[in-house]
Amino acid sequence: MELLSYALRKLIGGIPLILGVTLISFVLMVYFGPDKTFELLSKNPTEAEIAQVRAQLGYDRPFIVRYADYLREMATHDFGFSDSTGERVHSILLRTIPVSLALLAPGFILGNLLGIVLGLIAAWYRGGWVDRLIMAGAVVGMSISFLVVIVAFQALFGVVLGWFPVRGWAVHDLSSYIHYVTVPTLASVFVALGYNTRFFRAVLVEEINRDHVRTARAFGAKPTEILYRNVLMNAMIPIVTRILFSIPLIVVSGSLLIESYFGIPGIGKVTFDAITSGDQPVLKAVVSLTAVMFVLILIATDILYRAVDPRVSLSGNANA
Amino acid sequence: MPLSMPSIFFASSRILLVVLLVALILCGCSEVPPDEESEIYRHSEDEAPSSLDPAQAATVYSNMVVVNVFDTLYRYKYLARPYEITPNLALDLPVSSNNGLTYTIRIRPGVEFADDPAFPDGIGREVTVHDLIYSIQRHFDPNVRSQGAWLWSGRIVGLDEWGENGADYAAAIEGLRAIDDYTLEINLTAPYPQLAYTLATGFSALVPREAVEHYGREFAVKPVGSGPFRLNSFNSALATFERNPKFDRGTLDLSAEGYSAERHGEFGLEALDGQRYPFVDGLEIHFIEENAARWNSFISGEVHNVMVPNEQIDVVLESRDPIQLNDELAARFYKHSAQEAGFVYAGFNMADERFGHHPDPQQDAANRALRCAVRDAFDWPARNETFYFGLGQIFPGVIVPMVPEFDASLPTRSVERNVEAANRALDDFGWRDNLPTLSYGMPSSVQMRQMFEQFRAQLQDIGFATDQFLPESFATFGDFSRAMKERQLDLFFLGWTLDYPDAQNTLQLFYSPNATPGSNNFNYSNPDFDVLYEQTLNMQPGPERTALYRRMNEIVVDDCVAISGLSRTRIHLWDKQVRMMPDREILGGFFMRFVDLADDPGEAAVND
Repeated sequence: MELLSYALRKLIGGIPLILGVTLISFVLMVYFGPDKTFELLSKNPTEAEIAQVRAQLGYDRPFIVRYADYLREMATHDFGFSDSTGERVHSILLRTIPVSLALLAPGFILGNLLGIVLGLIAAWYRGGWVDRLIMAGAVVGMSISFLVVIVAFQALFGVVLGWFPVRGWAVHDLSSYIHYVTVPTLASVFVALGYNTRFFRAVLVEEINRDHVRTARAFGAKPTEILYRNVLMNAMIPIVTRILFSIPLIVVSGSLLIESYFGIPGIGKVTFDAITSGDQPVLKAVVSLTAVMFVLILIATDILYRAVDPRVSLSGNANA
Repeated sequence: MPLSMPSIFFASSRILLVVLLVALILCGCSEVPPDEESEIYRHSEDEAPSSLDPAQAATVYSNMVVVNVFDTLYRYKYLARPYEITPNLALDLPVSSNNGLTYTIRIRPGVEFADDPAFPDGIGREVTVHDLIYSIQRHFDPNVRSQGAWLWSGRIVGLDEWGENGADYAAAIEGLRAIDDYTLEINLTAPYPQLAYTLATGFSALVPREAVEHYGREFAVKPVGSGPFRLNSFNSALATFERNPKFDRGTLDLSAEGYSAERHGEFGLEALDGQRYPFVDGLEIHFIEENAARWNSFISGEVHNVMVPNEQIDVVLESRDPIQLNDELAARFYKHSAQEAGFVYAGFNMADERFGHHPDPQQDAANRALRCAVRDAFDWPARNETFYFGLGQIFPGVIVPMVPEFDASLPTRSVERNVEAANRALDDFGWRDNLPTLSYGMPSSVQMRQMFEQFRAQLQDIGFATDQFLPESFATFGDFSRAMKERQLDLFFLGWTLDYPDAQNTLQLFYSPNATPGSNNFNYSNPDFDVLYEQTLNMQPGPERTALYRRMNEIVVDDCVAISGLSRTRIHLWDKQVRMMPDREILGGFFMRFVDLADDPGEAAVND
């Protein structure tokens, strides 16, 4: 009951956040975004045609009316049709979000899990050659441009070795899924691992120096037990925060570079195209979805804090 | 203490497995597994279309799909160059009345739209001229957001008025009259020699009203037509098609399509002569914007063709003149290179009295001298070498080499750099100490910026200081276009792709009634030019019209309205397994119906 009431309170508290995010985003779209009018016009437009298209796009209406429409669209989950393709926005999201999830989830999970494992190892052997080796690898991963990694992996696995396709997404069963997802996953893990490992190591090193860890060692506990029970579990709050707050970006924003270079029809490419072409119906939907997801993640994060650290109270009072 | 972490890895792998399975379920497995036996031609393009509705088929990318899903009355012959029009859905070329105002067009009986849920019982019905009337009417319906209405605006009796009066599809239009289900009469307001060309554009493709109404705005992503292929799926990365079993245009007549053993003999096309087309079971068009990814896809065999990206030119070519592939690639791929049906050019906003038209004849002459000096400072060979690998064709004027009216004898003075003459003109007309500050508009991109910097450096040779020639970049082409249409830019750099192979298509860019927001982005206004242009509007192709076109071309050159021009060279490569002659000019894509895949990759290379 406490949980439900907490979630409801947080949900209601999230409404101003959603309103704020949508308002700021809409201001940016309307006043600083591209003007779609001239992309929809013919080679030889007349003033009347220009006015007609502007009216169809809603550009001639007052800002407040357009923003009110936006809120209504959010409430009804109906953002109409894409100004670029004419496809229903709802259909675009349903078509592309699962693809982005399927594309990015393995890399996301692997990148974080391996990052935690390598962070634990590096923290345990802090200052030793294992630590230096891992950190050097992390710096290499962080230093190489994602673009270079993608093109190099495409050339290596697709052209030179011929093990996997250079690009595409003809997924129809598990084997085709693995066939198409492997190289993008390797590329994203290669790049993400460096950042993740450095972050997790920093968090874990701080935890590993605490008194309770030293006490556990003095009692002769196994290293794996110490690392899991005394280090990892006690460092879960920053880890959970980092991982959960990455999820909306995975679900909604996708990964533009991965999707563009690997020819994968996910939400990242759709979002990028919407931003650069001023496709407001799609942008409004993506912004709304991201804002709502962040609120949900905020709630989930707080609940998980409680799960990983019983001292955290959902009523807002921490018990020291 | 030594560290072993099997439990963490074990837990990790379990989580990963669960996630993989969930992800797989979520991804919906939307793709249907390909039939191993099917012959699929896999084509690559460098950009994705946004809309597949013929009413919005304004780009080569849209047309590549549209002309394969829909039927047009006419198309261009597969191999004939210069381009020649030929009947497609029509039975023959249009017959006009003596005064050129009435055209009668007959279409093939028995042609049917592809089956689709939009039709009763999902069975496509017969195509009639009523569909053509509807398809052209749509362009004048304010709710359709047509990008092709300009082709027929003011040309067909009663059509513009029909749109202005509410676009009532039940109302008859005097200029579009169905004699019977297979015969259409078009009544024009004035002779329109380019009419047949307009009926070969994707804009003119026949759409079934049932499908348009069934899908509403989503018709733009769920097109239904009577063309050689039927769309199965479409997204920003890939469009897949299957052969339309109802499509039957008989057999391929190579000689009628312009086959020449000298030009096409090496491509193995003879084997297709006399066979029914389309030859392949399906198409895949891969939209790959990134050059590196497109090239890697081609080299690895994932797509059958590529238009060679600029950065690969030096890797690919053994020599530029003549254009020859290196041995390794020549052994694997066919190559065809040709000039684009279009050109790139820079232009002045003539509405600006600082350097454009001026009511005072003396100042007008001085302004002309300034424009000519800027033009003379521009270095086309440098532009060609730096950005087009020296492969582009530089030509004077605005009639491109691809059209029959091209004037090869026109002096090349206007595309030769002459700094001395430019400086002399600036001195003579008193510009030396009061050169105006000019803005140069461009869509934001690295290459456009590099082009600008090259131009700015060249202008410094005639006295323009760095801060007298300023860039104005725009995030999108739409924003750039708006600035141009609102006359905010002094100079701009643009490309133009021909809608049809007739010089009128580029000369209309200088006709004063087309001034912005129309297609005359120069806002050029010259009564002599306009008179000649109007005179040619009603003329059929022939030496007399060509002479007038060329005279108009000279006027534009003399007035230094544009810095023009260069036609880029396209180099197409394709797998030797594929029998075809790829082409994307004139907003094309008709060639795909004639593509075939040899069972044995060596089989296609008959003459190797």
